Amino acid sequence: MTAIPGRALPASEDALAGPGSGPRKRRIGKASFDSVSFFVVFLGLPLALFLIFVIWPFVQAAFYAMTDWSGFSAEFNFVGLSNFSALLTDPRFINAVGNSVMFGIFIPLVTIAIALTFAILITVGGSARGQIRGVRGSGFYRVVSLFPYVIPAIAVGIMWRLILDPSNGLVNGVLTALGLDRFESFAWLGNVSTAMPVTMLVVVWGFVGFYMLLFIAAIKGVPSEIYEAARIDGAGRMRTSWSITLPLIRDNVQTAYIYLGITALDLFVYVQALNPQGGPDNSTLVMSQQLFRTAFTEGKFGYASAMGVAMAIVTLVFAALVFTVNRLTGGTSERGRR
Amino acid sequence: MTMTSNFTNTPSNPNPAPSRRTVLRAVMYTAAAVPFGLPLAACATGGGDQGEESASPTGSADATNPFGMAADTTVDAVIFDGGYGVDYVEFAGKVLAGLHAGSSVKVSPSTQIATELQPRFVGGNPPDLVDNSGAQSIGFNTILDQLEDLTDIIDAPNVEGTVIRDTLYEGVLAPGTYGDKFAALNYVLTVYGVWYSGSLFEKNGWTPPATWEEAKALGAEAKSAGKYLFLWGTEAATYYQTLAIESAIKQGGDEVRLALENLEPDCWSNDSVQATFAIMKEIIDLGYFKPGGSGTQFTAAQAQWSNKEEALLYPSGSWIENEMKDQTAPDFQMKGVPSFSVTASPAMPATALHSTAGEPFIVPSQAKSVAGGKELLRVMLSKESATNFSKTKLAPTIVKDIVPADGFGSTALVSQTEMLSAAGTDIFTFNFVNTYGMNQEQLPIWNSFLDGKKSVADLTKELQAITDRIANDDTIEKIEVS
Repeated sequence: MTAIPGRALPASEDALAGPGSGPRKRRIGKASFDSVSFFVVFLGLPLALFLIFVIWPFVQAAFYAMTDWSGFSAEFNFVGLSNFSALLTDPRFINAVGNSVMFGIFIPLVTIAIALTFAILITVGGSARGQIRGVRGSGFYRVVSLFPYVIPAIAVGIMWRLILDPSNGLVNGVLTALGLDRFESFAWLGNVSTAMPVTMLVVVWGFVGFYMLLFIAAIKGVPSEIYEAARIDGAGRMRTSWSITLPLIRDNVQTAYIYLGITALDLFVYVQALNPQGGPDNSTLVMSQQLFRTAFTEGKFGYASAMGVAMAIVTLVFAALVFTVNRLTGGTSERGRR
Repeated sequence: MTMTSNFTNTPSNPNPAPSRRTVLRAVMYTAAAVPFGLPLAACATGGGDQGEESASPTGSADATNPFGMAADTTVDAVIFDGGYGVDYVEFAGKVLAGLHAGSSVKVSPSTQIATELQPRFVGGNPPDLVDNSGAQSIGFNTILDQLEDLTDIIDAPNVEGTVIRDTLYEGVLAPGTYGDKFAALNYVLTVYGVWYSGSLFEKNGWTPPATWEEAKALGAEAKSAGKYLFLWGTEAATYYQTLAIESAIKQGGDEVRLALENLEPDCWSNDSVQATFAIMKEIIDLGYFKPGGSGTQFTAAQAQWSNKEEALLYPSGSWIENEMKDQTAPDFQMKGVPSFSVTASPAMPATALHSTAGEPFIVPSQAKSVAGGKELLRVMLSKESATNFSKTKLAPTIVKDIVPADGFGSTALVSQTEMLSAAGTDIFTFNFVNTYGMNQEQLPIWNSFLDGKKSVADLTKELQAITDRIANDDTIEKIEVS
């Protein structure tokens, strides 16, 4: 119960109800214009939109997952859970899940590590004397590092594909100019050992700026007295970052981790731009790509819907894992905040 | 919905303010109420109206309007906007409008045929004519029963008055025939071969190879000239699979083709296939392929051949000239030769050619004007429209005797006509890769093979695995080829 005592509805409620509403009696559910319009605008409308455009498609997908619908006719048969049992033994889908999980583990980890480092440098990493501040020129870095996030994902993908082009790309051009001849015509996106790390790097490049900004906002919310106290106690910058900053913005890190994880488990746009055919030996093929292929090139919408449901489950499990790990390691997400 | 019943039994909150509980309760009420108010048509498959077919308006049929297209029809055509663009259909649309005053054609270009038309097929309002082509085309086994049989177009007189069947090349109806249904009219005649620069070869005194051994020897010469024999792009790595299959079929004859087409066990282990793979592997290991193809976008790779001339040969279909029109070196003089033979004594002559009709046009049965879709196809098959196509796209259609001897000034078009007449009746094709949508899965395998990272045994094993998976999947309808 969060209702604060003494903050009941203003007396005007009864006044609005008008004469004839009888003796002053507190009633619940009596619809005044005020409460009805409030419910309609702030509850009914968003909820209806949510149900129609989010929940209803979910329900439909779950239903079609149990049919053999081809996607191009109005006819289908109910096949129960056989699509799901087929998924468990489909080597292509299992490979895609494995790749997605790899992306889901490493992209958030690397992005957050880099973003956090930069955020700390820009906010509290400056001179150890005087006021708590960031490194020199931090305002400039803050603006510049957000640039990649402003570029649409598909443009990021296409741009990097050109940069990584084996024969005419910037990367190999620089490397061969430095005398590293083995990188002449080296296909970064065409080798099993490099395709996935390079794809991760591109995604991280695109997201670091935004999450850095998120962490900067969080760190700015920490009172500078705490830093000053820590400094007086003799804590160095590393010590402050680890023992002061990180614990105090822990919730933000958790949120960032979940958002990034969800992005990394989808990743359709990036992989489709960088390696539309799934990468060398399907090493960058992700769940969403396999789903799209199953639906539109193989004409199996029922089976593809089952993949969608499986994808949702993987994402939920991921979120649950992050919460659990955070809680077990002493996070504060459920206790004492409020 | 059952959740709400728990809430209706909760005692009234004495606090009239919209506290958290009343808000929550309202959420529940609204949640329960909204789905009931939703029209059932919101369901993705709810819109299909099976009765619509009979409502298709028709006019009276005669020789100038053989399908009885109703007066003042607007034919709705969705055309794949790929290598050939859409203007040739617009051209035919203008001709149609001239023949039937009041009627017209609305051409909508699309590169995403499957994603764009999927809801229209489900909703029962597909277009009158679709060019179901490109990487995002609709798999034929999924929509076959919703398509018109187009045999009546073939038996109708064309705009000039000749029966259309008599104006077409041999065998061009085969690729659009599924079982006993002629469901797709493939409009463009495609010749597969290995393409090269006539001027470059002439300058260096090279001759285009006819066998793989000659190709290997040419590779050595290319290397000494600082060039490569072949190159490839990552999305087009399977062009080399097409080339390999062609060589294998020429070497081993029809049995190779039928084994692959009918997804037989060990079809990739056939001696002819293996011999082709082996010599390809030899050429790869000699370093005659330009490295880095597995990371290069395919048109960028093709430009390295057609514009920078870094490699001598490129295996492809005859769309290559039009596709690279803007990125071809001046005086390139593109020419083609049929795919190489493996040995000097193959089952089929060296002139045997892989050629087939492409760009499948379909008329959905549930379309508003089935007759309009067919009429537009009939106009496209007229001499005027077919000439317009060949002239502007530099490619032959399935209508014969259209391309003049000078090939409208295109060396590649002349070369295609020559290859076709040299092949005579030794023309073959195969469809299993497209029929079962295997290309996406085969691409990574071929990229690794061309990169030199896979042995012939790996290649064979992995291609066979794809074939076996489809052969053993009962949910995939098989199309018997003979």
